[in-house]
Amino acid sequence: MTRRSGSLVRAATVAVAVAGGLPLLLAGCLAPLPQPLVGLNQRLEAAGPARAPALSGDWLALIVSQGGRDRVQLVDLQRQQPVPLPGLERPDAQPLSVAVDGRGERLALVRQLEGRTELVLYRRNLMALQPVPLQPPGVPRRVSLRGDGRELAVEVSRQGQWQVDLIALP
Amino acid sequence: MLALLVSGCGSWSWGRRSAGPVGWGGADRQDPALSGNGRVLASVVRRDGRDTVLLQEQPSGTVLPLRHFGRLQPHRSPSLSWNGRYLALLVQQGPERRVLIEDRATGRLHRLPLPGGLVAESLSLAADGRRLAIASEGDGRSRVQLYDLTALLEPDLPAGLPVRGAPAATP
Repeated sequence: MTRRSGSLVRAATVAVAVAGGLPLLLAGCLAPLPQPLVGLNQRLEAAGPARAPALSGDWLALIVSQGGRDRVQLVDLQRQQPVPLPGLERPDAQPLSVAVDGRGERLALVRQLEGRTELVLYRRNLMALQPVPLQPPGVPRRVSLRGDGRELAVEVSRQGQWQVDLIALP
Repeated sequence: MLALLVSGCGSWSWGRRSAGPVGWGGADRQDPALSGNGRVLASVVRRDGRDTVLLQEQPSGTVLPLRHFGRLQPHRSPSLSWNGRYLALLVQQGPERRVLIEDRATGRLHRLPLPGGLVAESLSLAADGRRLAIASEGDGRSRVQLYDLTALLEPDLPAGLPVRGAPAATP
């Protein structure tokens, strides 16, 4: 084999290797990516600064700053609209964490009110808010709700230590 | 009669239990997240000075293995799908805070890119795994954005629930 034919063979080998690897390279580049939900995101952006999202079913609960005050908002993702939460808000309450069940019926909320931090359960059909007692007492922070809304997990500070309580809800 | 009255009041009682020991002494335990069906609890535990996600079956407390997250730390804001198949998590890697999802059924790790300039603060995965909400800071404000994951993840649904778009079963 001459020097020229040898280099041709090497070039052909490299070309075959590259062609063989191309699908793999392309697959890496073309791996599916999460798609932003543009319409919903624009609506959320317009509502004001937001944090602490909780998704469940077709519902998104979050804390939105409006007019210098933080408030809980529940968004129906099918209709792309917030729903009213009568009886939940108090102008002197500061929400810290929120969770929603899969039907958008129950919300668990940690909020600061009158110098205390409390865990409460809100039921939309009753438009009622009910305190959830912590035993032994502690300071709640983040909360998570099971899909059927019948149990919650909450982070609680007791004597300088963070613990997680699981609480069955009636 | 008194017993009946007490049991009536009991319908509004709250059954509290601790999430159980984590196996590392009196470690702090934070960021709880229940799977949609309530059978898996994720939380973040300080272990060897690093915040590490812990996955436990409920109510037994049995620790469930994770394939990828043991070597990617620290962790924050875990979130689970309905059966706990998917665990979404924020992982700090140097200056970058990344959004990762481990598929516990296949062992696959999904890395989700965030738009430049945004720092993820917390996240929430929909129980069916179809959507992800990410709270982030950037450009001087906090925002929540939603992402469609249907091209990325199979749905994780309660048993017996039909998959949207799936062919109908033949008799």
